[in-house]
Amino acid sequence: MYWKYCIKRIVYGLAIFITLIFIFSALFNTTMESTLRSQIEEEIRGETLKLDTRMKPEEITRYISERREFKRHLYHLDKPIWSRIVWRAINVLSLNFGKATIMRSSAGEADVWKIIAECLPRTVLLFTTAIFINIVLGLLLGLKKAQKAGGLMDKTTSIGTMIVYGMPSWWLGMLVIMFFAYTVRIFPSGGLHSIPPPTGFAYYIDLFYHMTLPVLTLVLIGFWGSAFLIRNIVLGILQEDYIMAARARGIPERKVLYGHAMRTAAPPIVTMALLSLLASVGGNIIFEGIFSWPGLGNLYWISIEQNDIPVLMGNLFVTTALYIGGLVILDLTYGFLDPRIKVGGRPQ
Amino acid sequence: MADTDNILKVENLKINFFTRKGKVYAVDDISFTLKKGETLGLVGESGCGKTTTVLGLMKMVPTPGEITGGRILIDGENIMPLSENQMREKVRWEKISMVFQGAMNCLTPVYTVGKQMMETIQEHKDIGNSEAKKKIINYLNLVGLPEEIIRRYPHELSGGMKQRVVIATALFLEPKIVICDEPTTALDVVVQAQIINLLKELKKRLGLSVIFITHDLATEAEVADRLLVMYAGKLAEIGTNEQIYGKGGPIHPYTEKLFNATPRLHEKVEELSFIPGTPPDLVDPPSGCRFHPRCLKVMERCKKDQPPLIEVEPEHWIACWRNTND
Amino acid sequence: MKWIDIKAGFFDFWNEFKRVRFGLFGLILLFIFILTVLINSYIVPFPEASSRWRDITYWEDNPTSAPPVWINWFSSTKRAPSLIIREHTFSEEKMGKIKLTRAAFEYEYLYDLPPLDVIFHGYAKGSPVIMLSMERPDGQIIELVRRPISKSDGSTIRISIAKDTRIESYNFGVKYENPESNRIEREIVKPTSILFSEAKEGILVHPAPLKGTYKIIAEIILPGENDVVEDVYISFSGSVSGWLGTDNSKRDIWSGVVSGAKWALLIGLLTAFTAVSIGVTYGVMSAYLGGWKDSLMQRIFELFIGVPLLPVLIVMSAIFKPNIWTMIIMMSCFFWVGPVKTVRSMGLQIKEETYIEAAHAFGASSSRIIFKHMIPLLVPYSFASMALYVPSAIVYEASISLLGLGDSTIVTWGQILHDALTGGAVINGLWWWIIPPGLFIALMGMTFAFIGFAMDKILHPKLRTR
Repeated sequence: MYWKYCIKRIVYGLAIFITLIFIFSALFNTTMESTLRSQIEEEIRGETLKLDTRMKPEEITRYISERREFKRHLYHLDKPIWSRIVWRAINVLSLNFGKATIMRSSAGEADVWKIIAECLPRTVLLFTTAIFINIVLGLLLGLKKAQKAGGLMDKTTSIGTMIVYGMPSWWLGMLVIMFFAYTVRIFPSGGLHSIPPPTGFAYYIDLFYHMTLPVLTLVLIGFWGSAFLIRNIVLGILQEDYIMAARARGIPERKVLYGHAMRTAAPPIVTMALLSLLASVGGNIIFEGIFSWPGLGNLYWISIEQNDIPVLMGNLFVTTALYIGGLVILDLTYGFLDPRIKVGGRPQ
Repeated sequence: MADTDNILKVENLKINFFTRKGKVYAVDDISFTLKKGETLGLVGESGCGKTTTVLGLMKMVPTPGEITGGRILIDGENIMPLSENQMREKVRWEKISMVFQGAMNCLTPVYTVGKQMMETIQEHKDIGNSEAKKKIINYLNLVGLPEEIIRRYPHELSGGMKQRVVIATALFLEPKIVICDEPTTALDVVVQAQIINLLKELKKRLGLSVIFITHDLATEAEVADRLLVMYAGKLAEIGTNEQIYGKGGPIHPYTEKLFNATPRLHEKVEELSFIPGTPPDLVDPPSGCRFHPRCLKVMERCKKDQPPLIEVEPEHWIACWRNTND
Repeated sequence: MKWIDIKAGFFDFWNEFKRVRFGLFGLILLFIFILTVLINSYIVPFPEASSRWRDITYWEDNPTSAPPVWINWFSSTKRAPSLIIREHTFSEEKMGKIKLTRAAFEYEYLYDLPPLDVIFHGYAKGSPVIMLSMERPDGQIIELVRRPISKSDGSTIRISIAKDTRIESYNFGVKYENPESNRIEREIVKPTSILFSEAKEGILVHPAPLKGTYKIIAEIILPGENDVVEDVYISFSGSVSGWLGTDNSKRDIWSGVVSGAKWALLIGLLTAFTAVSIGVTYGVMSAYLGGWKDSLMQRIFELFIGVPLLPVLIVMSAIFKPNIWTMIIMMSCFFWVGPVKTVRSMGLQIKEETYIEAAHAFGASSSRIIFKHMIPLLVPYSFASMALYVPSAIVYEASISLLGLGDSTIVTWGQILHDALTGGAVINGLWWWIIPPGLFIALMGMTFAFIGFAMDKILHPKLRTR
């Protein structure tokens, strides 16, 4: 039952991803190709320089046009547009993103995939930590709010949620940096670690030291929302008949709240947590930029500034893959946690 | 009638809801008794206070409601002064339990049936897993369910099966009083009949004292011995089935209308009879007798004074001014 | 949908809404924002800020990166604010064909730090000669500049004292300064700090402010008959300027922020409205049509959901360089997915209601059922959704503008922040540049959050009992 559900979701996810990749390839085809052409010209120029200087001009011209033809054929530029799009999409799906025009990984490589792969874990580290703290704090506060719904604390913290609702996280980040890193110089203004990075255990301390301000900012904005949502979810459940029935059966309040209520609330809360994580995969480009946190988001920013199209495209593809993958995992987790889906319908 | 025969005695129970629109007099000064082994039917329209009353018996009136007066004696002990902890540990489910309505949503969807039943037993009695399991299976069989139900989740069961589970759960601690709140309402007729038969059998076998709430008079007639009619938070009539169902005897105008509203199978029906008007607003109830705006036999006195329950026959009380004059 | 029904429904809703205090507060804030947009030109010193944001001549008279005027309230050192003085005493003399006019402006200087510049403006035609001098409170009169003008077609003229009186001010200052103290280079001195300081030792190094009434006198010689100098006024470029200071391109931030309000409202409301309209219609149709059409619509929906919004918007903006309207369309293209799931489930519930069956039986057409029966029930939810989408739309636009990919022909709060970031505001602590635009984004977000959550609160009980 559950396996069928799993497979269905995974297949859908893959289908959507592949469709999107094709759409992106088509949409951005022109740009990508113009970059490709310039790259080809660069390569040819490089090769020409290595030629024997004694060659006659006509021979050089012939050589250039030969090489050009060869490369155009290699990159399928001589084929009709559909074929090019398809070929490019297949490349992407096999993780072959090509070479970056300007940017390089910290090891100096130009391979786009390597550049991206380096940045990915940093994004994951930062946002998973922040979301984890958000959820924990959100649970603590949200449960309290649900228990005393309509009370003073509930109302005031709800106002807090609304106040930060429209606040861009990156703006708060700017303020936090301005204050904590420039006015009162206790924290670094950004970056992953100090230069040069310390070794051994001190490396991790340094890493967390650098993570403090961004995580603080994310939590300041995020935890109100999660507390509010958790409060609503739990409150909704507490009004259900089965909670009253459990109390009637003499189940102690502690078990009703943390057992029956929380267990029923688990699917939507986990969904919420995963959704926030997903949103951060796509949405925190500027945030990372402000803090110079070298993750996927920051990579976008830099690749735009430097006009490095291959990196930009590769990043887009990877982000989309992560995003859709996240959605699939979300569905699977929800299905796992909610017996109504996991175990399915009725026997009769 | 000795008091020790009464397993439940309710005296002047008042339950109010404090809402933004005002104070709702949901249950306004109700007194009745339940004898050992008896089934007491509680009938009335939606919103007349039936469910609130029985929730009050378990001190589980939901906010913004509160019990504002009266005494409730279960087996001689007044439960009003008991704390929430004491209620939970000693009274609820051990002395008085409840079979919920339609078994729609009263089982937690994320726990198996077995886990919920196990949890209930072990919360009250200090017995091991295997012993508890034996007891659960015992009662499941009693209600006609196989053992494997234990491993099922609530959504996997049909309405009738869920209802049986709920009945089994209500009984296995062997409480003295069982409240059945419209247990057959949401079920189709065939299953309804099955459940009712089951309840009758269990009542006989286990010697239960039952309060049976329903708005269906036919069911009530089958299951109950005595009948309580409630209207707008007050008791309109108390009596045995014979006294009330039997033709010709004294009767409260509301009860009379209730009966007339059910068309008889073997009589010619010219027009469907109904009770004109709507149930009153309990924030600002009508003066005097609460039924007077809709009563066809209304007198001047009814508009001013609230009629008390008057014993018109032995064990038959009616709250109506008409019956004092007759 | 009869008008009476709509009105009745609206009044019911309003009665409920009135009760939620923070909802009312949000509504008041929204009203203030709308009012601000309507009276935009009247409350800012630079009404054309929006259209002339990149026009440096419009902002010429402002100081660079000056803090707001109100910091004077919190500081013991009072700084001279930017100011425009138009009143002047005017006298005219004729000497044959030559006219001699004299315009004298009075300036109260009660501050510790002088303005950064004093600029004479006028409209001139022909070949007049303008001589500016300054009469100080200590009685000294300094001749500042003598400027012959040659403009056969009339045009505006502008004489900046900070730029053109370096020699004169320096010479004045040197008279009082101790010659043994470090020789100050003429190029380094700021004319205004000499002109407005006490004439004593230290005037070049540690000037003490000379407070009092100053007179700026413009003597204008008009040799020819057709020579004209009119519309004269003096502007002071202060050390503090405007309600929210200035940025490094001399732009008054208050004017910019207020201009940005209308764009924020436009972007937010238009995107939210379009997106929710599409989304709700889509969801209802999907629910109503059912069957394979429903499944197909759901598949398409899942396709859109799988798109990580901000990266795609950014890439599209980087490549296609949109203007504001294109951006709104792009955002709407993706925002619409939001309400679909909820609306669809609500639609499915409504579809099961017997009155829908009845309408079918009476032969009602699909569109009639959808628009007359289903959509009106969804209107409250739609409004709550719209309100809650406005902040998101504003933040998305701000994010895109922050990266420099926004529409540079208009001023949005995101644009201002972009300039702030690239102008080094964070590093240099120019808090008045960074805080206001972001704060207003947050405030507008808060406004719509209040309204939206209030609506949500009213709707929720009804949703649950269904």
